[in-house]
Amino acid sequence: MDVIYGLLPGMLLLGIIGVAVFFWAVRSGQYDDMDGAANRILMDEPPEREQANDTDTDK
Amino acid sequence: MSIPCYHCRLPVEKAGSFTAKVAGENHEFCCFGCQTVCETIHNAGLQSFYLKTPEGEHLAPPPSLSAELASYDLDEVQSDYVDKLDDIRSIHLLVEGIHCAACVWLIEHSLAKQQGVISAEVNLTSKRLRLKWDNRLTTLSTLLQALGRIGYAAIPFDPDTAEGALARRHQSLLYRMAFAGFAMMNMLWISIALYSGADQGEFKNWFHWISFLIATPTLLYAGYPFLRNALLGLRRRYLTMDLPIAIGAVTTYGYSTYVTITGSTVGHVYFDTVVNFLFVILVGRYLEAISKREALSATSRLLELQPKLATIMIDGLAKVVPIRTVKIGDLVLVKPGEKIPVDGVLTDGQSAVDESMLTGESLPVVKKNKDQVVAGSINCEGAFTVKVQQVLRNTALAKIVSLMEDAQASKAPIQSTADKIVPWFVVVTLTLAAATFIYWYQFDFEQALLAATSVLIITCPCAFGMATPMSVAVATGVAAHHGILIKQGAALEYLSKVTHFIFDKTGTLTEGKLRVVTVESFSDLSEDTLLMLAGSVEQHSEHGIARAILAESVSRDLTLSPITDFSSSAGQGVEASLNQQHVLLGTQSWLAEFGFVFTDIVLNRVDSLEHQGISCVFMATEGQIVGLIGVADRLRPDAISMINDLQQQGIAITVLSGDKQAVVRAITAELGDIQRQAEVLPKDKADVVRALQKQGVIVAMVGDGVNDAPALIQADVGIALASGTDVSIESADIVLSHNELRKVTEARHLASRTLSTIRQNIVLSISYNIIMVPLAMMGLVNPLIAAVTMPISSLLVIGNAARIKRLFKG
Repeated sequence: MDVIYGLLPGMLLLGIIGVAVFFWAVRSGQYDDMDGAANRILMDEPPEREQANDTDTDK
Repeated sequence: MSIPCYHCRLPVEKAGSFTAKVAGENHEFCCFGCQTVCETIHNAGLQSFYLKTPEGEHLAPPPSLSAELASYDLDEVQSDYVDKLDDIRSIHLLVEGIHCAACVWLIEHSLAKQQGVISAEVNLTSKRLRLKWDNRLTTLSTLLQALGRIGYAAIPFDPDTAEGALARRHQSLLYRMAFAGFAMMNMLWISIALYSGADQGEFKNWFHWISFLIATPTLLYAGYPFLRNALLGLRRRYLTMDLPIAIGAVTTYGYSTYVTITGSTVGHVYFDTVVNFLFVILVGRYLEAISKREALSATSRLLELQPKLATIMIDGLAKVVPIRTVKIGDLVLVKPGEKIPVDGVLTDGQSAVDESMLTGESLPVVKKNKDQVVAGSINCEGAFTVKVQQVLRNTALAKIVSLMEDAQASKAPIQSTADKIVPWFVVVTLTLAAATFIYWYQFDFEQALLAATSVLIITCPCAFGMATPMSVAVATGVAAHHGILIKQGAALEYLSKVTHFIFDKTGTLTEGKLRVVTVESFSDLSEDTLLMLAGSVEQHSEHGIARAILAESVSRDLTLSPITDFSSSAGQGVEASLNQQHVLLGTQSWLAEFGFVFTDIVLNRVDSLEHQGISCVFMATEGQIVGLIGVADRLRPDAISMINDLQQQGIAITVLSGDKQAVVRAITAELGDIQRQAEVLPKDKADVVRALQKQGVIVAMVGDGVNDAPALIQADVGIALASGTDVSIESADIVLSHNELRKVTEARHLASRTLSTIRQNIVLSISYNIIMVPLAMMGLVNPLIAAVTMPISSLLVIGNAARIKRLFKG
């Protein structure tokens, strides 16, 4: 069970790394737009292919 | 059934007015703007925008572009917004018209196709665009125009001055919350080990010290705002929710540290409770901050969209400069439709000026040579130049702002319900803890310390601290979706207790726009012919009355004739020739100067109309007065029903206006039996509110003008309309973003719902204490019980707050 003397500091270290990554993410503005990014990924289809679909889906 | 516009999906008023062949088919549009935008989008090959737009979403018709776009290319103007004036520049733009993710896609893609654009990133939440471009290849105005062609108006702004401090506070709250979250998660593992028996074994001290190691920075860093505010509050003898939070956290931490250091066998460590508690409270505060920030950024958008530029004349040449560089003695050119940027004397030209925002008067005031004009009023007619007498801080506008600041300083901060209970809470908790200590001290010191601390720990005002912020956060979020922006959470609590509503007239109860209410003929000409003649004569005029007449003739489907020999005299009247007829349209006194005779029948009619608050313009042709057109500022469509609703709830209502007695009387007559005060000066408006408050009445003020601002602040709850002036929006606690008056009653419903939720939450958290405190006094509470019961009480409070969302459903 002596392994616990090493595991606990290890856990803390990993946790601190996690916090540091989070701070970096906030600082670089990744939490500024909570709605845009989620939608943007669905939007980026190549326009050429869609033009072909355009005629039959358009009412 | 009308066909929807192919672009914005709003119904097309008149089919066939705007048709265009797009993508091989003919489509109907509601206006020329929509048509051009749609053609541009198709020509750029971005038509899949329409597929991406969610079903049922209405796009706004394209905004009109400011004529001053080119001035944003000037280095002296850009230096306010751009970091560095290099070849590669980046700027923040506020974009009007973004509704959904499809707009984000359209903006980013169409800008990417523009030459010289390096990057364009839209932030959907705050409706902003960060644009980076190469100034050698393109100009900012070209890009703004490109945005305009696809239907978005954009204005540069500086995020640091706009909300720098708020954003930084917000970020530090997020950091603290994240840190507390990290600490809580790690602490949980250790706690589970301790609960499951490790506190008996050889690792006990090791676990305790690790817990201590995690809890110390958490208390100092994540708990810093609470500790600081509690100390500040104590020093100013002002108790806030932060004090019980700080007492709870510090005693729990202190006791656990004592146990850890002495290695006591009787006591337990409660480090996990401290950390959990801080995390949960921070989550509540963060959610509250988010909703508040959204409301604030929506209002700051309303403010920033107003350009802050002026056109000055140097040696006969016009030059656009930022307002702050205008000096006393400069000549400023004011074009029709523009807001006058400075105080000064008119030196050249003449016009009618709309001063309603400052005085509440609904009709424009005539300004001739040497007349004073005031910053913030709007030029309705011809262009003129103004010799600057006062700028910025010294303008009449700024003086009202300073009145406003005085009101702000003299007003006591609003106390939320929880804040009022806090002193009692603190006293009761400390007394109980002391009593417990004294009782147990007769038996054993260690046991006494344990029991007394567990009283403090268990009364840890977790649920209590969340009761208000959670409810306010949910209510603010719900409200924002319904066009009610709540800037001050505490104002929401007050709104439900308001017993007297004061309304401004011009622009608040009324639309603030003149409309034709009657057309009367005194000859054989029909009403429509009269209106057609009037509309033709006025077709090039910017005046409020002219626009009212034009709008009326368009809605009656009249075809206007071309005119010749047009001339106008500001604020008096206009004349022109059409179809070999010379037509004059103007005020009674102006026409009398030309020798036209007003018969008694006409004069009687005018009297009775003016009694109803209707202003008349007369038409004369071929030597006689042929008719009159009555214009008035009409009540907003929902004004009457809102006033009735409020009255049914037993609320007193006063209309307070700077306009003339007759006009105010006419308006209030329509609204039924309410009090009114006319011809009130801006500073007296606040006094009226103050006088009511002295009688112990809780007052809400609803207004839109600069002249309402001091009253908006003085009132317990200030409500402004989004169409109002910057100053009024800034001084209000609540802003109605769609200018709908019925939102006032909705806001009141929401407010009373929120208040009852807050009360329920406080009852919930107090009943939790009533159950748990006796257990703690008996010395029966251990860390496991604390760890289980405290989150449950918080969850109950959060769940109860979330129920506010259901108010507007179904």
